[in-house]
Amino acid sequence: MKPRVPAIATLLPLLLGACQYQHYQSDFGRAGVEDNQFLTLFTIFLIVCGVMYLLVIGFLFAAIARSRRLEANTVETGRHHRSDPLMSTTLIGWGALIGVGLAGLAIASFFTDRSMAKAATGEKLSVTLTGNQWWWDIVYNSADASKTLRTANELHLPVGVPTRIILNSNDVIHSFWVPSLAGKEDLIPGRENDITIVPKKKGIYRGQCAEYCGAQHAHMALVVVVDSYPDFLKWWHHQLEPAPMPTTPLAMAGYKYVTGGPCSACHNIAGTAAGGQVAPDLTHLAGRKSLAAGTLPMTEGNLYGWVEDPQSLKPGVKMPTIGMEPDKLHAVVAYLETLK
Amino acid sequence: MSSLFRASFLVAVTSALALAGCDREEHHSRAKPIGETVPAGESPDTIFPGTSSAPPLDPRAVLYDNNANAIAQGQQLYLQMNCVGCHSHGGGGMGPPLMDDQWRYGGRIDQIATTIAEGRPNGMPSWRGKLTEDQIWDLAAYVRSLSGLPSKDAVSSRAESMSAGTPQSLTPHAEPKNSDAPQQ
Amino acid sequence: MPAGNHAVAPAAAAPADDGNWVMPGKNYAATRFSALNQITPANVSKLALAFTFSTATTKGFEAPPLVVNGTMYVITPFPNYLYALDLTKPGAPAKWVFKPKPAAASQGVACCDVVNRGAVYDSGRIFFNTLDGQTFAVDANSGKMAWHAQLGDIQKGETITMAPLVAAGKVLVGNSGGEMGVRGWLAALDEGSGKLAWKAYNTGPDKDVLIGSRFKPFYAMDRGKDLGVSSWPPDAWKIGGATTWGWLAYDPETKLVFYGTSNPGPWNADQRPGDNKWSAGLFARDVSTGEAVWHYQTTPHDLFDYDDVNEIILADIPWGNARRPVLLRPDRNGYFYVIDRRTGQVLSATPYGFINSTRGVDLKSGRLIYVADKEPKAGRVTRDICPASPGAKDWNPAAFSPVTGLVYIPHNNLCMDFSGMEANYISGTPYVGADVKMYAGPGGNRGVLTAWDPVNRRPAWEIKEDLPLWSPALATAGNVVFYGTMDGWFKAVDARNGKLLWQFKAGSGIIGQPISYRGPDGRQYIAVIAGVGGWAGAIVSGQMDPHDPTGALGFANAMKDLPMKTTAGGMLYVFTLPR
Repeated sequence: MKPRVPAIATLLPLLLGACQYQHYQSDFGRAGVEDNQFLTLFTIFLIVCGVMYLLVIGFLFAAIARSRRLEANTVETGRHHRSDPLMSTTLIGWGALIGVGLAGLAIASFFTDRSMAKAATGEKLSVTLTGNQWWWDIVYNSADASKTLRTANELHLPVGVPTRIILNSNDVIHSFWVPSLAGKEDLIPGRENDITIVPKKKGIYRGQCAEYCGAQHAHMALVVVVDSYPDFLKWWHHQLEPAPMPTTPLAMAGYKYVTGGPCSACHNIAGTAAGGQVAPDLTHLAGRKSLAAGTLPMTEGNLYGWVEDPQSLKPGVKMPTIGMEPDKLHAVVAYLETLK
Repeated sequence: MSSLFRASFLVAVTSALALAGCDREEHHSRAKPIGETVPAGESPDTIFPGTSSAPPLDPRAVLYDNNANAIAQGQQLYLQMNCVGCHSHGGGGMGPPLMDDQWRYGGRIDQIATTIAEGRPNGMPSWRGKLTEDQIWDLAAYVRSLSGLPSKDAVSSRAESMSAGTPQSLTPHAEPKNSDAPQQ
Repeated sequence: MPAGNHAVAPAAAAPADDGNWVMPGKNYAATRFSALNQITPANVSKLALAFTFSTATTKGFEAPPLVVNGTMYVITPFPNYLYALDLTKPGAPAKWVFKPKPAAASQGVACCDVVNRGAVYDSGRIFFNTLDGQTFAVDANSGKMAWHAQLGDIQKGETITMAPLVAAGKVLVGNSGGEMGVRGWLAALDEGSGKLAWKAYNTGPDKDVLIGSRFKPFYAMDRGKDLGVSSWPPDAWKIGGATTWGWLAYDPETKLVFYGTSNPGPWNADQRPGDNKWSAGLFARDVSTGEAVWHYQTTPHDLFDYDDVNEIILADIPWGNARRPVLLRPDRNGYFYVIDRRTGQVLSATPYGFINSTRGVDLKSGRLIYVADKEPKAGRVTRDICPASPGAKDWNPAAFSPVTGLVYIPHNNLCMDFSGMEANYISGTPYVGADVKMYAGPGGNRGVLTAWDPVNRRPAWEIKEDLPLWSPALATAGNVVFYGTMDGWFKAVDARNGKLLWQFKAGSGIIGQPISYRGPDGRQYIAVIAGVGGWAGAIVSGQMDPHDPTGALGFANAMKDLPMKTTAGGMLYVFTLPR
């Protein structure tokens, strides 16, 4: 008597666990039009291939059962002839089924591709995403040049609005992948790619660089926030505002160091003397949900740790460990926290 | 020689050769803070009263001089910190050329690091306080590679800039000499 | 002066010649024309050296000497010495030298050699600028300083290389630094005291640009509120260039000063979407208050470093049955513009060199039409862009002869490859973001002297030169045109047909303005200072390595042979006809 109950017992938790998949970084997130279309195609493939699989398994078992019924010492004579009309009908039907199935999959694939392309027209918003090792440089393009917005690592999108994302890279090949919204598209240096996505559900999603790009490829995530269109415009408007002058003496000391010291050689804070373009824009750093391209959640502790010693949190990252003294570190973090 | 001896001999030789390449790949990501002193300027013709020889090479030099990672990081910093704006890709412009054999303030890696950190008269800016020591030495290593000074296995074998000039692995070695720039 | 049916210079801006040379352009109309006519095509072959003078500098020499009533004044490149030479004594010995002692570090933020484009004489004083951003007024007799003003800040990357303009009691000074992320301006100092009278920025909100109720641009693209902010991404105008490093002109009748602004910064145009006002355009301002009266943006959203700072020649040209007051401008972008100087309307824009980067100027809207294929994009190389960044002509001014009615344009024939990359802004360092490589244009000659007929809008004759022509031209009433080549040949050609009449090999390449004056003995003299350098000659004056073609913003590739043809120097040569 084989112990069957324990086998089923181990399967159940797995099945239950599969029910609770998260939506924020998942192909099953169903948060974007492209993802929905992909899932439709996925479902068609699953059903068709599943049915074929079951049929094949069924035939396999049938064949095993049939061979058991035949006598043990039956010898194959080696002469093949059309002996079983049922068999030949079944085989012809099987061929036809395969043909119809494959043709159906091809047609489904074609139409999904066409509808994805159609959804990618009429874009109302244009974003230029430049990949760097290991962070995302985001520029919201605007016909009015003075409304151009530059930010980093957190992409805000309006729900239901087709957005064309132009993809560039400053160094090596990266890949833009927000599975809940759409598929992957590479960022290739020297070439401009683009992808149009239409988010369908509000929420916060996680994207991931999907092409190995160096030591910290695993820590190059992208936070995508999908808002209603008015909320998105409010966010854009707020992001255009320059950083406010700090009010407390501690933050003021931090402001002097950040805008006059090493930070300003790489980072930009609008409205201050810090004009560097080669590192993430910090103007509204404290309002973001994560630090270091999705590596750490935005908390005061993480901010302290990141500013003091980025190399211990993300070894090899381009931001150097400066080794500030504690007083300076307090001042700098106090100032950075005012950059909402 | 028995086959076992031969096999282990081969293993030993191969690993020794492989390990020899380790130096050029060492990454130092935990940089030292700014503030650690870089040796004050000793130009090549400085007179050292009472002695007859220049001070020895700074011990940090060996970490950067033939290190592929330092040269690669230095190349990126060279573009980002606008060194390319004054010195082009070694040809010079607003600043003197870096790919020839003439050095006004010395071509040893510690002398170049001093130049970057302290600045020089007639226009070289001072980067102390703006770059960490690690970044300054990375830049110095890259600057040396512009005149072919590091060993060829540590430098890039493909020219990255638009003009597709000679890649660094083919740059001829130009031993540093003194500059004949007129003194103003 | 017979008017006929060709262009003439307006009398107010181009008064009768008194034999002196008091400003680099000769007069407010910038004709660079001497009415002296002793030297003619018949006798110029006998021209001989009268005396020489070594300026003790070896950097690019772009300035002309000034001559005022028997004294010659020479302003050198950094360190900007001002010499006064006594022309009444044999050998023209120095009377005094004034040394402003500018900051040595300013040499590190000067993009294109440490040049100085000239001093100006007015009311007993010599006015000039120094590389580190100061303006000096020196007594012309004693050599003592009257006043000085610190206008530029080298920590921001600002320098001053231009020659000031003195008009209506104001000394007008503009800054350099379009490659350093500097914000451009034009300032007016009171001539007597040196106090700042007004300062007009070339980017930013209308109140900084001194745009008010008097501002009436001709074209719709230049009309709107705060265009100096709205045509840039946020804050980009603060580091947007549009400096004033070139030539100013002045119309005494309307009291308007005209000048062009430099390229916008950075060179990588992807970082600054929008028209980038008021860069690469032409301003007309009231000289007393600085208010802008009109503006024409010659090259909106510049892609190729086509600064608009070239000379502005005032002329009156036949138009229909009358004469129209215009500005003649051989521009960087390759077009010869004829612009109505009352309104800023473009009457014509005709190519005077080979152009493939733009298709022309739409005279209805005033806009320059770009060729899409030649637009640089980040991450790729765009090849064969003509003209190259120095343009069909760079700063070196043309001369206009009212006798022949022709504009004598010494210029370039260069094309380039251009690759954009991200530019990082760190104040005091370059803000460019481009790799450039230049080479000779169609035909293989890198320089041309074109005699341009502005009324019929075509060349009358042309002389091809091997090297780019980086020296200004001088035209005389004797119908001789003088110019210098970068390998040191100082040439005299017939103004009517371009025939070479005389040449002299100077010790160094010539990029400086030749002048003509009447000496104390009544004879006509020709003077020029030979000292190769400037952007084109940086490979010699900066001792660059020719193995890097991107050196000197791409010029090194086009000038690899120059170090073999000439060496650095700084020598004044004065010629005259033998007795």
